[in-house]
Amino acid sequence: MSDNIYLPWIATITEVRPETADTSTFVVTFDDPQLRESFTYLPGQFAELSNFGVGECPIGIASSPTWAGSLEFCVRAVGTVTNAIHDLDVGDKLGVRGPLGNSWPIEEIEGKDLLFIGGGIGLPPLRSLIHYVLDNRERYGAVEIIYGARSPQDLVYKQELKQWEEQPDVDLYVTVDAGDGTWDGPVGFVPPFLREINPTPENKVAFTCGPPIMIKLVVEALEEMGYADANIVTTLEMKMKCGVGKCGRCNIGDRYVCRDGPVFSFDQLRRIPGALEA
Amino acid sequence: MQDRLHDIVRKLLGEGTIEYFIGYGAGSEPHRVVPCFVTSDHEVERLVWGPLCLQNLSKYVLQAKDLEGKAGVLVKGCDTRAIVELLKQHQIEREEVVVIGVACQGQVDPRTLEEVLGVPMEQVQGVEDAGDQFVVTIGEDERTVAKEQVLLGKCLYCRHPSAFEYDFTLGEIVPFSIDAGESEFAMVEELERLSVEERRAFWQKQFARCIRCNACREVCYACYCKECIFDRKMPRWLDKPPLLSENEIYHLIRAVHLAGRCIDCRECERVCPMNLPLSRLYKKVQKDIAELFDYEAGIELDEVPPLVSFELDDQDPFM
Amino acid sequence: MERKKLQKSDLSRWLDRIAQEHELIGPSEDDGVIRFQPVESSAEIAVEFANSLIPPKSLFFPAVESLFSFHKRGKDIELEATEPLDRDRVVFGIRNCDVQSLSLLDYVFGQDLEDVYYQERRARTALIALACPTPPRSSCFCTTFGIDPLSSDGSDVLLTDVGDVYLVDVVTEKGEGLVSLAEDLFPGLTDDEARQLQPRPVEMKKVDISQLREKVEALWEDEYWHKMSLPCLGCGICTYVCPTCHCFDIVDVGSTLEGERYRCWDSCMYSDFALMASGENPRPTKRERIRNRYFHKFSTFPSRYGSGYACVGCARCLIHCPGGMEITEVIKDILAKESISE
Repeated sequence: MSDNIYLPWIATITEVRPETADTSTFVVTFDDPQLRESFTYLPGQFAELSNFGVGECPIGIASSPTWAGSLEFCVRAVGTVTNAIHDLDVGDKLGVRGPLGNSWPIEEIEGKDLLFIGGGIGLPPLRSLIHYVLDNRERYGAVEIIYGARSPQDLVYKQELKQWEEQPDVDLYVTVDAGDGTWDGPVGFVPPFLREINPTPENKVAFTCGPPIMIKLVVEALEEMGYADANIVTTLEMKMKCGVGKCGRCNIGDRYVCRDGPVFSFDQLRRIPGALEA
Repeated sequence: MQDRLHDIVRKLLGEGTIEYFIGYGAGSEPHRVVPCFVTSDHEVERLVWGPLCLQNLSKYVLQAKDLEGKAGVLVKGCDTRAIVELLKQHQIEREEVVVIGVACQGQVDPRTLEEVLGVPMEQVQGVEDAGDQFVVTIGEDERTVAKEQVLLGKCLYCRHPSAFEYDFTLGEIVPFSIDAGESEFAMVEELERLSVEERRAFWQKQFARCIRCNACREVCYACYCKECIFDRKMPRWLDKPPLLSENEIYHLIRAVHLAGRCIDCRECERVCPMNLPLSRLYKKVQKDIAELFDYEAGIELDEVPPLVSFELDDQDPFM
Repeated sequence: MERKKLQKSDLSRWLDRIAQEHELIGPSEDDGVIRFQPVESSAEIAVEFANSLIPPKSLFFPAVESLFSFHKRGKDIELEATEPLDRDRVVFGIRNCDVQSLSLLDYVFGQDLEDVYYQERRARTALIALACPTPPRSSCFCTTFGIDPLSSDGSDVLLTDVGDVYLVDVVTEKGEGLVSLAEDLFPGLTDDEARQLQPRPVEMKKVDISQLREKVEALWEDEYWHKMSLPCLGCGICTYVCPTCHCFDIVDVGSTLEGERYRCWDSCMYSDFALMASGENPRPTKRERIRNRYFHKFSTFPSRYGSGYACVGCARCLIHCPGGMEITEVIKDILAKESISE
């Protein structure tokens, strides 16, 4: 983070990988070679991306801190700024302000088995942690990933899904809400799919990210399976602007999602009035 | 009149005709009269009527649309024009709202009263209507002041003191008029006599002071769009920072959007914390509409507003 | 702290002397509205005033300010941070409620990722407070929030009107510097004067708010918020005239080739304030937005920063609310609630 908390750093797009019809991965490298070396972050943190003249928006860092040199952001074109970022190409510049927010609890979960449950564009924030865990394999237990999207075309990171499928130390389960001719895997929503797989809660922490309704039903399912609220962790989406806990937009109770989050356990969320209302 | 108001509202609530009544209530200090939402019998006594009932409560009828039942509302003659327009613009249905019309004898402009009396409003304990003057209580003293000195600007030209679209009325319909001494449009004509540059300078000085609190928009009966063009993100027509360029666009677009719909209630000017002379802007729009189309908004229910009517053989091919 | 005196007739000489050295800011009337703004000379300053419409927070956290400019040259983009001030400033006439509001804003902007724009303005601005007139404005209720309208706490110099002279409390080194610009105008007090020249006590309505936080927190689910929000029109006046509200937006103005990134006030009362690009809105109606605002003032701000309540009793919001909503009545309503547990 720069001393001036509102001043972004300039980075160059080195690669654009289309993920779905409206979502692409942008790989960026800081222009300042020193910063490229010194910039550190934790899985689960995010950054404010600028397309100057259009504005700024918060995007989770989808790469792992174990990868040197560049950052990855998975951006879905939904708003003004994200659409403008999609207009950018390799070689174009954007602003990166960060890293912002807290992180997945990488120390607390050492030695635990890990369950990742993602929906649609909810996989990228989990992906940073998944790779971090796989790159520090000895510190963590078993890895299970349950992922779903509306259709086969809406699955992101298709290459990596293939890789994880083949990787012996990862159990991957993928479903789609509606299949098509290309799809011979499971069909159905994530929450019932999760119940079907029924992963044991023992010595396990579950991480979930996806559409709000999915998270709600996933958490209900996990609780019924015996997961304690403290062992269910999510990353929240709220309207954010400043990213530094000042502009007053993204609070739930007295917590600013941008500063104290975005990562919260359900145990924490239950103690914040209104946090689970929406 | 206040007693009759209480009786009617009590009856409407008691019969279950309305879910709540929107009237005026006493604020925490005597000089402050505030919008008051009454839902039950024991709150009816809070309703007041007098010369400090400034707000045009018709705006609140729009949010009453969310109710399963009806709402009741108190309107002065000038406020009735908003009810008429909301009906014409198909924003409310006549049977959704119970209208209590009141025979108004003019409302006090607090800013002017302070100037005329040289006393801040907070020392004013009450204002009573006494025919062609107001009796103002300040501490132990009572002072009288001629109405034409302290009336709201719009009251000076009032042609509809009593409500004319109503279910119940309060008070006898008494003619009320004031000799304002100059034409209704004098404040516009004064600006029209200036050169374009002078006029621009006048408005730029005003718009530069705007803090864009949106109060003028939110208080306006006619600003009922689900998503205001100023709030649109894609495409974005207006930037949020209150810079002169943006403020100018904000006020000019609002004025144009109100053409043929502005009912001269001047709520925008009254609520403006920065004292922008907005009624001059809106009076200009009213004047143009009157001159070009011989039309006045909020008077006749079945008169078609000029900017929503069209003819197939219109001489302008754009139409 | 040292107490001196200043003849009222000498005030303008002192202020004009200050204006030679620094940017002088004071309450000044423009089209019927009093605002703190830079003045050329003391003649533009309104000394007899209750308080400004726009709170002096705007001097530190302006309604609109440029954060930086950007210029694109080929593919390259250059950013240039905007300097918040070009010279040191002296604010004359600030009331103690507003001084206390700055110490609340300091929690937001001055710690945990400091805001350099706000911080530089704070560091380079001296405050000459003017004790409140007696009687104060009838709506004022700062004492309810534990604020003494005659206190010098947080200012650099405090002037208190005691008739023909001001008592002058020189609080800080910055304050000493200002007084030393015209040392001869500030004689010390004789023993007699020190006894006789005392500020008149300020009478103000006061409410016991020791239970306010607990009571408001118990009301999260209460129906109260629905009914009380009915008169709200959804404008931003209460937040813009509030000396402790600090919501803002960050907006680019210009083209993608060059322009500026601005920070401007925003309001949690606006329907689109927390609206996400996805269309979801965590505070979809006035009920949730107003509840959020009062919770911010009475629960979440003190809880987050370990501070007092985020209200200084200046009464601006209740004076200017077009819907006639009065924070003092809301406080009474909250305190009157026994408990919602039954």
